[in-house]
Amino acid sequence: MSQWLNQVIDRASSRMASGDDWLNPVRSNALHQLQTQAWPGRRTEAWRYTSLHPVEALAGRAANESVNVSIDSDSFAVPGLDSVDILFVNGELRTELAQLDVPAGVHISLLSAPGDAARTVVGQVFTQVKPERHLFGLVNDVMATEGLIVDVDAGVKVTRAIRVINLVTDGTESHNRVLVRVGDEAEVTVIEHGAGSAASMNTAFAEYQLGTKAKLEHYRFALHGGDAIHIGGSHFKMGESSNLNSTLVGYGSQLSRLDVDIEHAAEHAYAKFNNIYLLAENEHFDLHSTIEHAMPNGTTEENARGIVGDNAKAVFNGRIHIHRDAQKTLAELNNRNLLLSRRGQINTKPELEIYADDVQCAHGATVAEIDDEALYYMLTRGISRSKALVMLNFGFIQELVEQMPNEALRNWLQPQLRERFVNMEVK
Amino acid sequence: MIHIKDLRASIEGKEILKGLNLDIKPGEVHAIMGPNGAGKSTLGYVLSGRDGYEVEGGSVEFKGQDLLDMEVEDRAQAGLFLAFQYPVEIPGVSNMEFMKESVNAIRLARGEEALSATDFLKKAKAACQQVDLPLAFLKRGVNEGFSGGEKKRNEIMQMILLEPSLCILDESDSGLDVDALQVVANGVNSQRDGKRSFIVVTHYQRLLDYIEPDYVHILADGKIVKSGDASLAKEVEKTGYAWLGAKAEEADA
Ligand SMILES: Nc1ncnc2c1ncn2[C@@H]1O[C@H](COP(=O)(O)OP(=O)(O)O)[C@@H](O)[C@H]1O
Ligand SMILES: [Mg+2]
Repeated sequence: MSQWLNQVIDRASSRMASGDDWLNPVRSNALHQLQTQAWPGRRTEAWRYTSLHPVEALAGRAANESVNVSIDSDSFAVPGLDSVDILFVNGELRTELAQLDVPAGVHISLLSAPGDAARTVVGQVFTQVKPERHLFGLVNDVMATEGLIVDVDAGVKVTRAIRVINLVTDGTESHNRVLVRVGDEAEVTVIEHGAGSAASMNTAFAEYQLGTKAKLEHYRFALHGGDAIHIGGSHFKMGESSNLNSTLVGYGSQLSRLDVDIEHAAEHAYAKFNNIYLLAENEHFDLHSTIEHAMPNGTTEENARGIVGDNAKAVFNGRIHIHRDAQKTLAELNNRNLLLSRRGQINTKPELEIYADDVQCAHGATVAEIDDEALYYMLTRGISRSKALVMLNFGFIQELVEQMPNEALRNWLQPQLRERFVNMEVK
Repeated sequence: MIHIKDLRASIEGKEILKGLNLDIKPGEVHAIMGPNGAGKSTLGYVLSGRDGYEVEGGSVEFKGQDLLDMEVEDRAQAGLFLAFQYPVEIPGVSNMEFMKESVNAIRLARGEEALSATDFLKKAKAACQQVDLPLAFLKRGVNEGFSGGEKKRNEIMQMILLEPSLCILDESDSGLDVDALQVVANGVNSQRDGKRSFIVVTHYQRLLDYIEPDYVHILADGKIVKSGDASLAKEVEKTGYAWLGAKAEEADA
């Protein structure tokens, strides 16, 4: 048990004892779990390659107040993006919800003050999608006193994206929560946009419930860096014939860890999950994804691609679990990595567990090498060796960027990734 | 333009070019014909500086410089262009991005200014039109999923954009139907300006009906065994390379 977690438990229990938080019944279950779960060490499989030392070191430190921190809105602006933006700074809401131009059929409310309809959503989604095994998810369950609730009415096709921006500043500790219900046959785009490089601790968990034939386009940008500690997850429960297209982009930081769960809870659901990580300096990025095919006729296509330079370290664990009844499942998981430096590290582990006999599955992980023939071809066109290497390697993840359906996001992300990459040393 | 003297080269210890001589003046078009495995592609690779192609002897002077002493990209920047027999696919790098980088690298080396995005696009569109390549091909990954003919046209498109001094076309005609062949030939002919030189490598005489060479050389077993004018190609068309086989065997013996 860590001292940091003890403090979390103490703070949560005293708050829950005094307050009249309507979520107390749910939170107390999480609190109980926290009290009984062991603090992960090196021998805990889920944390084998990611040390929680930076979190342990936070114990006893008082967090800074975040009031009046000024924020530069350019830092998260995406030119040409048609979106409803909701900004949180260190977990505190900075957007006047009443002022938002919310598309018809979409209801946005807060965890701290939900209306009756939103309470129903919370009842269906909060802790109902995210598996209990995520320790920091439990921390978030008890600590996230604020959060965003998005409810999309059945049949509504929303063209404007809903974007939640979570920024963190120096010396703070914060917890973000997002709950989304996509009604039957509804279509919506949700963007979780997190950023901040200052020394800070942030957990950010999101749960998505997709109705029958619902369609969700999802992005998670974990653009942290430096001394930020960012631990979070995005969790999806797929309704019948629902469709998920999700892209996750991670930059890593002192400690960045994300867990993604996609549960095929009904038949004929389709999930596409692309993941890009681009790490330099001493950044650490850990992604664990778990795809649960509990029902027949589901499809999952997962592609993770990463470039690791300098002293950075990437951890990728992709698990696909096909239950006994999940016949006719189609599942593919591919992880490709490129290591640019001898001091960098990549730990990748695809795990396939199949209990049904009539399924099509493919999985693989590689640490790619530079294609000599392609390099030679580029050199014969007068392109310098260093430039050619950049173009070749960048092309490797560009393929996934190009698959992002949203053009404004593509145009915003591409030059950023390129710049990050160009500054990495190829050695 | 280029003086190749007694060039010997090997791959993995096996000698492929066995003393090749060739002199090309500005504006000339030289066709090189010969049986499969003669070393035609090897010549292009050695001149462009490909890794693994060991030069064992001889010299190559290109525009007054020692070509064999230069890096691959420097040769290209000095004006050497090789149209590949088998163009390479590079998924994830768009044709547009690739060519923009290439054109500007070569322009800078020539002391010219880099093209702006708009100017480049204008030129690229014109070059595509010239070889009948739909503009959508600029957005695709380099050669990615292109048909054989599309790859060849893409090579000629690149040649037009890069304005090289010496173009080596390695079987740019293979696998093309008559229409595509004409497109490729027209692309090449449009670049003949009296100064630019060409080495046109081909297995068949067909292409030379459209691109008229000043000289024709027969390359067999790593050497030029016969040179002549355009009529030599016609002769080869009639008699095939069988006579060469016998001769090459004799030479080996
Ligand atoms: N990578 C290689 N390793 C070994 N031998 C090679 C390689 N590439 C070509 N060769 C050999 O070199 C000879 C010449 O090949 P090439 O130049 O491609 O001939 P051409 O283009 O005239 O058909 C052939 O015998 C071929 O088998
Ligand atoms: Mg050849």
